[in-house]
Amino acid sequence: MTCDFSRELEKQYSCKPEEANSFSESRPQPSTGVLLGRSSDHGDSVEIVDSVPLFHSQIGLLPPLEIALIMIEEFYGEKGLSIVGYFHANERYDDFEIAAVAKNIGDHITQYFPQAALLLLDNQKLEALPNGRDRSPVVQLYIKDASRSWKLVGSEGGNQLTIKEPSGNIVLLDYLASEKWKDIVDFDDHLDNISKDWLNSELFQ
Amino acid sequence: MVSKTEEEQVNRLESQVENGGGGEWEYLCLVRKLKLRRSYNVLKYGFSILNDPKKRSALGPEEWTLYEQVAVAAMDTQRLDMAKDYVKVLQEKFPESKRVGRLEALLLEAMGLWEEAEKAYSSLLEDNELDPVIHKRRVAMAKAQGNISGAIEWLNKYLEIFMADNDAWRELAEIYVSLQMYKQAAFCYEELILSQPTIPLYHLAYADVLYTLGGLENLHMAKKYYASTIDLTGGKHTRALFGICLSTSAIDQLTKGRNKDDKENSQLASLSATALGKDYKQRAPNKVSLLASTLKA
Repeated sequence: MTCDFSRELEKQYSCKPEEANSFSESRPQPSTGVLLGRSSDHGDSVEIVDSVPLFHSQIGLLPPLEIALIMIEEFYGEKGLSIVGYFHANERYDDFEIAAVAKNIGDHITQYFPQAALLLLDNQKLEALPNGRDRSPVVQLYIKDASRSWKLVGSEGGNQLTIKEPSGNIVLLDYLASEKWKDIVDFDDHLDNISKDWLNSELFQ
Repeated sequence: MVSKTEEEQVNRLESQVENGGGGEWEYLCLVRKLKLRRSYNVLKYGFSILNDPKKRSALGPEEWTLYEQVAVAAMDTQRLDMAKDYVKVLQEKFPESKRVGRLEALLLEAMGLWEEAEKAYSSLLEDNELDPVIHKRRVAMAKAQGNISGAIEWLNKYLEIFMADNDAWRELAEIYVSLQMYKQAAFCYEELILSQPTIPLYHLAYADVLYTLGGLENLHMAKKYYASTIDLTGGKHTRALFGICLSTSAIDQLTKGRNKDDKENSQLASLSATALGKDYKQRAPNKVSLLASTLKA
């Protein structure tokens, strides 16, 4: 399932609903992940096709990050995809700030992919999902503007985040209800036990 | 810190209870002894015991300990209604108790009433300045309110009194890392390694921080500590093996062949790579070729 966001002039980012799910709100630590995708042919939209959950602890440390990024690039490079963004979910429910660490990782990714996106999980929206019929994405999109700082993207204006699949949030709710998040393997889990697969290929068919 | 066998024991009991095989009380005692945080289950199983008058009276004086344990679990899972009930029971049984006083303050915390909780803790501290639990709650409250610098301040004050509390040093180190204050984090890990030199976790974390700090000297030290981690863990520690590969490669890049330790470096790197390759072959065979290309990069 891919979400497609289109826009005339600026970049658009598409997003898979599973990503928001991968980084569950139930983990009492921050959750992070990497977004994979590609630029469209005209270069006016970026499609996010997949994601890999990275870490849930000590995200400020370089070595596991470097290993993860290299491995993920190697794997997806063969499929014609590259790292196009970074996902972050804060530890605290009401924390809407992007940690310096997240910005640094985002900066690092923009060195290789200038239109990189930074997605921040909106914990409150995620929690409100079962109650409302909100179809908008439960993440906030940040991109780097001309002043090289990360700016939040609103619903009007240049960049937009859209979900291709309208029932994306319903799928997400379903995953939450079935507690699929308990089984997700992230890179931290893999490094602790390499028989655990960070591709989670069986989990999301 | 919990050992692997202890963790397995708890998990075994947990699945036993889940499958209707009984053992709730053993599970609750073990969780309490090991200070684990399994609040959903503690609440579920504890509630089932406390709600049944027969089971409750079978506990004897331990009943009150269970009330305390389940009250805390209720607060952790935001079941404040249940927490209030249990705290009330304890208040009626032990009206002047400091221990119950602490629980009341904890409840205020759980309800988000930070000022009241802070007042409660301060007054409890007046009577007992050296209560580590209260000091730690202060740190936790600061963290929960997003006041990280406050948390650091309280934690440092706590460590001035209780400098042997290794968990606190670890907590402080992790806070520093999250704020990218790597030098300070390194200091904490140095304290930890001094006090418990045979715990590989500290060597690994120290190495990670040194690598993140960067610079030739730090990279050399990082390499040393990755090596000691591998030493202490019998040679199979994935993160440490990767760490060796990363640090030797970074050192190579910085010294560009001017280094006379080059040979030793590349030997170390290839040993680690081989060890990783073997491990991946055994446990993650579908990733072996990916590992190979990763190590080359």
